[in-house]
Amino acid sequence: MNNGLKKFFAAGLVLSLAVLAFTATLGAQGKASPADLTTAKSLGSREAPITLEVFADYQCPQCRLFYETVTKQLIDNYVSTGKVYLVHRDFPLSMHTYSHQAAHWLNAAAAAGYYQPVEQALYDKQDTWAPTGQIEPILAGVLSPVEMKKVRLVESTEGSLLDAAVASDMALGNSKHVDGTPTIFVYHKGQTTQLPTGGVNYALLKQYLDYLLTH
Amino acid sequence: MAEAATITHASAAGVSVGSRVGRILLLIGRLVLGGIFVYAAYSKVHFDGAWHLRDYQFFFAMGINSYNMLPLSVVQWMAAILPWLEFALGALVMLGIGLRWASLGLTALLVVFMVALARAAMLGLEINCGCFGYNSPKPSTELWHDSGFVVLAIAVTVGAFLVHRSRRAAA
Repeated sequence: MNNGLKKFFAAGLVLSLAVLAFTATLGAQGKASPADLTTAKSLGSREAPITLEVFADYQCPQCRLFYETVTKQLIDNYVSTGKVYLVHRDFPLSMHTYSHQAAHWLNAAAAAGYYQPVEQALYDKQDTWAPTGQIEPILAGVLSPVEMKKVRLVESTEGSLLDAAVASDMALGNSKHVDGTPTIFVYHKGQTTQLPTGGVNYALLKQYLDYLLTH
Repeated sequence: MAEAATITHASAAGVSVGSRVGRILLLIGRLVLGGIFVYAAYSKVHFDGAWHLRDYQFFFAMGINSYNMLPLSVVQWMAAILPWLEFALGALVMLGIGLRWASLGLTALLVVFMVALARAAMLGLEINCGCFGYNSPKPSTELWHDSGFVVLAIAVTVGAFLVHRSRRAAA
């Protein structure tokens, strides 16, 4: 076999492998799972020493308070610095008429890559959409028309996956005896601890996180 | 004369039996009341399947803070000392050491807890009471439990003072 033929076969092999890899990637994207959405609803580095898992309901006033007074500072000071990996879990409570719908749209936004701005908008504008269930206009208010089109496409084509992601989070919450929101679990050095409901403010959480980071 | 002697003897026997029953009841009350507080202290430093002797105060501070009634500095101070105060007073009552003052201290603590629980129940706060760890009942439910504990604590305290007085009188 001459050199030219060898090069031709080698180039063909490389090209075939590249096509195979690309096809496999597409196939994996086509079979997105609730676990993929969990990743899309998480912030920070997976390698962070502390993981905070927050079970929340977008229509719950206490969750909004927690987001506005704790989560925002947590993202700025601990998540963006690689100290905390923040995982959102949907736990829409039955007492809130539109919280499941909000979680559904949040998952659509997360799948399209817009989790953070949409989460913030849902909490910031809770008073606007909670009485009416008009959630789409809230998303449209923070996303560009192109981004909104992507979210709508995901919502219309992957509706069952979005609901499965919410159901999966709820099943996990039920298995952990979550009975209200926000419920927060802290994972550090193989130990899982649940924070007391209702009393977590930023000052106390900061002290605890700083303690964990030094131990 | 013989009749009078019989009455005196019966009366003395009655007092004696009553005193013994009273002391047994006091012992049971002491063990139950003290045990409740020792357990309450234990549940604040051992939860989620592990001891939290070095970080319990963070969790308990969050628990106290959920009542939304005290400044943060007081919350942190209370979180640090309350479990040990509960343990110390509970152990003293169980052992019968300084019984009158230890049981009086527990009664006072229970009254303070009940005020906090009643306030939380009136405000409709959806929180865990934090009395026995962080899976405790809601304040409205725990209020009923604490009502029983207060009755027990008052009974033990009164009993402790009466026993002390009777001993002094006998001496």
